Amino acid sequence: MKWLLQEAEICEDIMSDSPYESFDEQLRPLLEIMAREGIQHAAEGLSEMTGQTITVTQPTVSLVPLTQVPYLLGGPENEAVGVYLRAEGEMAGQIMLIFPYERALKLVDLLIGEPEGTTQELGSYERSALAEVGNLCGAFFLNAVASLVGMEARPTPPAVMVDMVAAILDVIIATAAGVGENVLMMSTTFMQGGREEEASFWVIPDPKVLKAFLNKKI
Amino acid sequence: MENSIVVGLGEIKISNSSHDVLVAYGLGSCLGIAMYDPAAHVAGMLHAVLPTGNLPSNDDESCTKYVFSGIEILIKNITKAGGQRSRIVIRLAGGANMLGVTAFSDIMNIGQRNIDAAHQKLKELNMKIAGEEVGGNIGRTVRFYVSNGRVAIRMIGGKERDV
Repeated sequence: MKWLLQEAEICEDIMSDSPYESFDEQLRPLLEIMAREGIQHAAEGLSEMTGQTITVTQPTVSLVPLTQVPYLLGGPENEAVGVYLRAEGEMAGQIMLIFPYERALKLVDLLIGEPEGTTQELGSYERSALAEVGNLCGAFFLNAVASLVGMEARPTPPAVMVDMVAAILDVIIATAAGVGENVLMMSTTFMQGGREEEASFWVIPDPKVLKAFLNKKI
Repeated sequence: MENSIVVGLGEIKISNSSHDVLVAYGLGSCLGIAMYDPAAHVAGMLHAVLPTGNLPSNDDESCTKYVFSGIEILIKNITKAGGQRSRIVIRLAGGANMLGVTAFSDIMNIGQRNIDAAHQKLKELNMKIAGEEVGGNIGRTVRFYVSNGRVAIRMIGGKERDV
């Protein structure tokens, strides 16, 4: 068999002074506290909203190579629902809540008080319900961070995407690719009734806000 | 038997084996650029993330993350593998605006900017586009069959169709 396979040309580190590239380990403890407090708060909000106990796995703070992002949630072609919003202000960044498709249908049932299995597709009404979940998680996260470090931010209205995982994550990738080869993310998994892999919640601070974090004390 | 070769983010893959299928999974705003020399049976695909670098750095010239520099590198690699520039057939897929119509989608419509960059670059190079399936707000998986140069896309819940 004759075939040629050209390996990808390696992109030079074109922005070696990018805050992500020179991610300061000093920041890690602070980011971990922010992730823990913020995400815990978001889960409490979600519990109230759904009337179910939502728990979270230990949030992690990690620097992930962009090329791996499409594979973080299983297959890149898996059907998923992404609720995306931006945080504007001192604590600027991106917030993404992403569910496997089937799980999103069940969550809608929970939100509108119907028996599990009622929702079969995601029309505009169902999408608004999921947008509300994004709104709430984003607002709770940002409020917790604001009271913790005194950095204010407002969430934008959410966008709901129903598509392949990789296509949804392109939104984050395209935003982060302009500034480096890695993305710094705080992530966790929401669980209900002990089942894992219910929903992934990611917060990706903009690189430019990280420097300001260095001066913050908790 | 088919042999799938994944073209990841910011990568270029070249093949002249008829068993190979170059695949870019779930393109959202990213743009897949497929080039084929039917006489030499050389195929190459670029999975570009952004239209162009935002720094006037020379390193951008060698970067396959960008539509602008990536197209030139793709052509170079195809000719290196035995293809001829004058015979290259080009097809594009992807460049969606995943956020749809939202308050912040305009400034962030990287999909459209990727498409515009490809059109502009190919025009500058005097190269024609044989087919494209771009824009909208839907993700696409692209399969590029080296045996015959066929480029096919698949979307969630849809059947594969040719570009």
